[in-house]
Amino acid sequence: MSKKQRVGVASVGMMPFNRVLEDTAEEMAYKVAKDALDKAGLRRDDIDAWVVGSAVDAFSGVNESDKFLVAGSGGNGKPWFRNATSGSTAVSTPDLAYSMVASGQVDVVMCICYEKMSDNENSQKVFNYVYDPAWVRPVGLNVPLQCGIEARAYLHRYGIEEEEMAMLSVQSLGNALDNPYAQRGKEITVEDVLESPYISWPVKVLDTSPVSDGARAAIFISEDKLKEIDDDPVYVKGIGRGADSYWFMGRRNNDLGRLDYAYLGADQAYEMAGIKNPSTEVHVAEVYDPFTYKAMQHMEAAGLCPEGGAGKHIREGHGARDGKLPITPSGGLLGEGNPIGAGMSRMTWTWLQVKGQAGDCQVERDVDTAISTGWGGMYQYNATMVIGRD
Amino acid sequence: MSNTEPGVTIDGRVDVEYHWSAGIAGSRFFTELRDNGKIMGTKCPECKRVLVPPRIFCEECFVDTDEWVEVSTSGEILTFAESYFGLQGQRLEEPWYIGIIKLDGADGGLFHRIVKGDSEIEIGGRVEAVLADNREGHIMDIVNFKTV
Repeated sequence: MSKKQRVGVASVGMMPFNRVLEDTAEEMAYKVAKDALDKAGLRRDDIDAWVVGSAVDAFSGVNESDKFLVAGSGGNGKPWFRNATSGSTAVSTPDLAYSMVASGQVDVVMCICYEKMSDNENSQKVFNYVYDPAWVRPVGLNVPLQCGIEARAYLHRYGIEEEEMAMLSVQSLGNALDNPYAQRGKEITVEDVLESPYISWPVKVLDTSPVSDGARAAIFISEDKLKEIDDDPVYVKGIGRGADSYWFMGRRNNDLGRLDYAYLGADQAYEMAGIKNPSTEVHVAEVYDPFTYKAMQHMEAAGLCPEGGAGKHIREGHGARDGKLPITPSGGLLGEGNPIGAGMSRMTWTWLQVKGQAGDCQVERDVDTAISTGWGGMYQYNATMVIGRD
Repeated sequence: MSNTEPGVTIDGRVDVEYHWSAGIAGSRFFTELRDNGKIMGTKCPECKRVLVPPRIFCEECFVDTDEWVEVSTSGEILTFAESYFGLQGQRLEEPWYIGIIKLDGADGGLFHRIVKGDSEIEIGGRVEAVLADNREGHIMDIVNFKTV
């Protein structure tokens, strides 16, 4: 077959995230691949091709760590690819899996994202090697400062308040209490967040997500094949990708507070999905939220609220599970854990929400359409995916 | 289920020295900075942006930028952040600051250290580059940017 075809999602594969797991990357891949196959009633032989993503090889201390994953993902003897676009790998890999099936070249693709962060002594130290060695590293940059310059620009531009960031943290850690795969479900208060130490103003310890080991899988499948195994098919409606320059100190818009590339990614996905008013047509969103203010920037870029309106959306309760447009009801990276590439969990949870299989994380309102976003690369990449039923 | 302990581990370290090329544009920038104390950018012939840090191409118009222009050593703080931890992770009594400085005469600027001089460190605040006396062709030939 070689003509364009519609693409759905047959199942997702889950496993608990945690700060340290005994599992190797291969073992994690096996668990989530097997879980996805079992839930869809498919076998390894039914998969035509694989696409696997992780963000940062250096966490594992092994170059081209994708080679570990071939056997564990079930890919022996079949077409097999790796994708890496920093943290946005979490959704750009599903975007690629969609494209492989949509092209008509294959009918069934296993998509897996993973990260094993605990293999190294100091993940912050590893992160320091993502920065440019000539222009940035000698000056001194680390994750706290990276957040500080971006978050300050964002708050300055839009008047977002620290209290609103704190409210989002309270909501996400609370949501994670009901997520069986989460490592940091916790009942906390706004005061707890505001009183936690600054990593760099305005970002505090409880505005950040925990480092984590984990993996996620999803099976992307042609419409014809999906209808054979699922009488309530959920389709990929839109995908989008945006990227911006490595030179964050000299970009066209000269403002780290506005993520032009994230708006681009969302616009593409909505145009493809035929969505004109995302704030009413999207029913639940899992946004990429390694830090509270990142969730807010991504809510705005995805048009879930007006630009600069993310604080109000959270403050007024619209983002809660019983709200009009729930935001990361799974608990997100903040509550579930943040094994960078395996932030693909955002996409898997949107599928569980549309299918009504999100358990205690299921939102109150009906869900036909959901979006997930990924972000990464020192403010460089966005990926967006819209899924839903007809 | 997964154990939340690492189990048996095989311990080791990765220890490799690197010599990162500053590139065509970067080499010229750092040479000018070292020899003449000047901050240089490249100008796009189409959109007329002056790129700092310099690139040999404009990433928007995707054309060569072969005109080099000198930009000011003073500029404006676009954003900044403070840290109470040193680069080795040690706790500090007084914070240090980094930020993005948009240089006058350029459409971008440099990521660098900021210190308090005559005015507060704030978005939109004015700063001036402090150059090292002995320069080596390195970003730290600029010691920091001081508020004026």
